[in-house]
Amino acid sequence: MEETPKVLRKIIHIDMDAFYASVEQRDNPDLRGKPIAVGGSPQGRGGVVATASYEARKFGVRSAMPSKRAIQLCPAIIFVKPRFEAYKEVSRQVRAIFERYTDIIEPLSLDEAYLDVTIDKQGIGSAIDIATAIKGAIRNELGLTASAGISINKFIAKIASDMHKPDGITFIGPSRIERFVSDLPVEKFHGVGKVTAEKMKNLGLHTGGDIKKLSEQELRKHFGKAGSFYYKIVRGIDNRPVEPEQETKSIGAEDTFPYDLTKLEEMELALEKITETVCRRLDKHNLKGKTITVKIKYSDFKIITRSKSFSDCLNDHNSILAAARELLEKTEPEGAKIRLLGITISNFPSLLSKGNGKCAPGQLNLF
Amino acid sequence: MKFIVSSSQLLKQLQHINGVINANTVLPILEDFLFEVDKNKLTVVATDLETVMRIQMDIEAKETGKVCIPARILMDSLKNIPDQPLTFNIDKNFSVEITSDNGKYKVMGENPDNFPKEPTADDTTSFTMTATALVTAINKTLFAVSNDDLRPAMTGVFFELNKDYLQCVATDAHRLVRYKRTDVSCPKADSFIVPRKPLNLLKSALPDNEDEITLSYNSNHLFVKHGTTQMSCRLIDARFPDYKVVIPSDNPYKMVVTKSDFQSALRRVSVFSNKSTNQVALNISGSELQLAAQDVDFSFEGNERMKCQYDGEDITIAFNARFLIEMLNAADSEEVRLELSTPTKAGIIKPTEMDDSEDVLMLVMPLMLNQ
Repeated sequence: MEETPKVLRKIIHIDMDAFYASVEQRDNPDLRGKPIAVGGSPQGRGGVVATASYEARKFGVRSAMPSKRAIQLCPAIIFVKPRFEAYKEVSRQVRAIFERYTDIIEPLSLDEAYLDVTIDKQGIGSAIDIATAIKGAIRNELGLTASAGISINKFIAKIASDMHKPDGITFIGPSRIERFVSDLPVEKFHGVGKVTAEKMKNLGLHTGGDIKKLSEQELRKHFGKAGSFYYKIVRGIDNRPVEPEQETKSIGAEDTFPYDLTKLEEMELALEKITETVCRRLDKHNLKGKTITVKIKYSDFKIITRSKSFSDCLNDHNSILAAARELLEKTEPEGAKIRLLGITISNFPSLLSKGNGKCAPGQLNLF
Repeated sequence: MKFIVSSSQLLKQLQHINGVINANTVLPILEDFLFEVDKNKLTVVATDLETVMRIQMDIEAKETGKVCIPARILMDSLKNIPDQPLTFNIDKNFSVEITSDNGKYKVMGENPDNFPKEPTADDTTSFTMTATALVTAINKTLFAVSNDDLRPAMTGVFFELNKDYLQCVATDAHRLVRYKRTDVSCPKADSFIVPRKPLNLLKSALPDNEDEITLSYNSNHLFVKHGTTQMSCRLIDARFPDYKVVIPSDNPYKMVVTKSDFQSALRRVSVFSNKSTNQVALNISGSELQLAAQDVDFSFEGNERMKCQYDGEDITIAFNARFLIEMLNAADSEEVRLELSTPTKAGIIKPTEMDDSEDVLMLVMPLMLNQ
């Protein structure tokens, strides 16, 4: 069944402009206004440009271009050695700015992120105003510029952020999406690289509108699973959620034995020891999970896993051990040669329900 | 052990208590019903360790005994068996065989000794009320209960007992409902908080009639008895917020509107509201109420105007429309009164008419208006 989100979402894609190069120009006034390239210098073998400043881009210098080629295009170009620690630090500062406006942040890399601002944390009122505020904070506090794309899904927001670079802001509302996608050249589509674009053009597909004329079946025939994705996306449908990275997705422990276990009692004893470790780790992180996974590695290094989910959390030694035993016993372990056993607890509910408990911005409280 | 029971009666009784059982529980025995047979009486128990429900019914049996039977498979089979007497045969290994006119069905039961013990009703205080009074009290309050596990006191309904009334209060910190009945008398002034799940179960298990219900409680548990159906549940061990101080004593501006018209208008206009807030702004001036919702990003806008009786200064105040719609549901009168003071202070909703023995007061905090 095709699930459509009940509520129209508001997604912002933020892309820092020429990130590494801009940080270098900010930190070193001598580089400002000059064509620079962050990346391997042409003296070394196979150096490539990681990021070129906008001054260098005027000469045609691009990311991932061999440094030698960059020099041919722009003889005055200055090469700067990357300082990834510095970029990471700036990236953290940018993220801190995002966090003022939303809790749902999906970083794509140091210089790009999706934000879901459907829940308007500060009660600013509109996603366009939120994006403007974020760009303003990045400029005033970090001395850098970013481009923002705003729409109802990730796909359109990302394309939008690229439309008026640098320092741009582009909003594509629901009524404009269909026409916008129809006019879009295929190589702009997310996931369409050179090879696929070539294949599409050979099929006479040059724009989103061309793809739209094909049925989902036809698209699947030509492009496999990605075909379904293209089918939906040219209709402006992209239900992928903005997925914040979770600190901890699972907690587990495993044990490799000095000799292969063949007796059930030995295995159960081992499970008990592993359970203890798992419980200690769960306690330490103050987590309880609903899913248990048992991992078994046999003497021939074949690995199997068995898991089970419960409606409530497995929170004590006894329930974890009982569930682990049950899973182990289903594999008919008696007589098998087992090298390693492991138990993992996952599916921590706190993160999933985080959004629900939160109240709407601007809602006043009684107490 | 062997007993004979009517299939439809058994199904009907089990449906009252089946909701207690969670799927995929950590303790597998919690997915079972406990059957206890004693002298032509069958008692069936379901529990999730917090809430326990039991029913009792007449059967034909010569022996006494107990067994745990997996609930889901039993319910699924009973739903499909036409009304007839069923014979249950349970052997020493707790294997259960059910014989009907259509055939035989077998399922493995479990040892009843492993079924969790029920809380004992020690040191209880009791009072009675009608089934309809309890069901009404639940219906009028449960919707306002909080889902926020971080504030456990608000995840249940607060029962306040007194010699000449029973008061039920629910709040999620944004709105509050206080429902009072003066036709219920409790032995002493006392209070406790009942979690959401048992109240939901009671709501569907109890008839909406004048049957007498007995409620007993001690410091940890509530016990509810209606004829042959019983429920016990653990009470929420937390302090309910001091709600009395947040009820405004005198909101000077009063508006009276037809409830159904107001509710329909809110439903229509809120379609165009910002979905994270459901914000609908009420602009009241003279005898006109304007409702306005918008979402700037999507260029959504909804506006309506309707007649009202208003006594007060012109005001613009915004609320979460869902809150208002739910609260209006809990008002049984044709018209409702909305009492306001300022755009940042709680509004009061009251039905304009009530039975003498009942009183409902609802509070709702506004949304800050976007500039």
